[in-house]
Amino acid sequence: MRSRAAAAVLAREGFKEAYSMEGGIRAWKGLRAAGAPDAGMAYFEPGKKPEEMIALAWMLEEGSCKFYKEMGIREKSPEAVALFQGLWGDEEKHKSSLFEIYQRLSGKDSDPDFPRSLVALESGDDFLEGGIGLKKALEWSRGKDLKDILEFSISLEVNAIDLYIKMEREVEGKPPKEIFLALSNQERNHLKRLSAALEKD
Amino acid sequence: MGILDYFKPVSTWPPDRVRQFLDQKSPQEYNLVDVRTPKEYEQEHLPGARLIPVGELETRWKELDRNKPTITY
Repeated sequence: MRSRAAAAVLAREGFKEAYSMEGGIRAWKGLRAAGAPDAGMAYFEPGKKPEEMIALAWMLEEGSCKFYKEMGIREKSPEAVALFQGLWGDEEKHKSSLFEIYQRLSGKDSDPDFPRSLVALESGDDFLEGGIGLKKALEWSRGKDLKDILEFSISLEVNAIDLYIKMEREVEGKPPKEIFLALSNQERNHLKRLSAALEKD
Repeated sequence: MGILDYFKPVSTWPPDRVRQFLDQKSPQEYNLVDVRTPKEYEQEHLPGARLIPVGELETRWKELDRNKPTITY
């Protein structure tokens, strides 16, 4: 009902194509993200700088890298090992691309304080895409079977997509916009690979 | 927003169509708007959705590009 009213308001305001989704989120069979609208960006004061968003994204990629690396070591089946190694390798590449953009924006070739100086976090723990602490995630993963790990990884990727779409919208400047868009697409690809593995498992 | 907005005929899309649309498009090509409450949004939302509670839409629709296809839920 709310959604129909919203679409009606938009149509009245001149939106040529405004559609209300039938049945609302309850009818949605796809994946869902969680967290407040500014989740993951909440560490920042208003008027976030592109460098700060890049640094946060880098940290989340780093956390996910470590998680996937660990899973790649721990899993037994060759398919699972290949999957996690592939994901880990991609997240490493994401880190490099993000750092390159940071170099361009900051004009610094190297920066020993990157990314921590830009992201005000009290905890020294690593974070995963989706804002979950790495230590907690690794503790949780002990004794879990592949299906649980895949489901967890899928939720990480969904939250990463959610965050990157929002960052792309919020950030100013073409290079950071482009990288966040590219990352959101690559995480969509991860989601497909993880979902395919889950279906086979 | 007036009470009559609840009764106006609007275009609707089934969830499958929305899903197909989102899969095919890049996030810059559409607006996806969650019109529920912040609390509901925090519990779960469609990836990349913007939160604009329905009561705020009257003033905040300007944040959206009205030339883009817009999906509300």
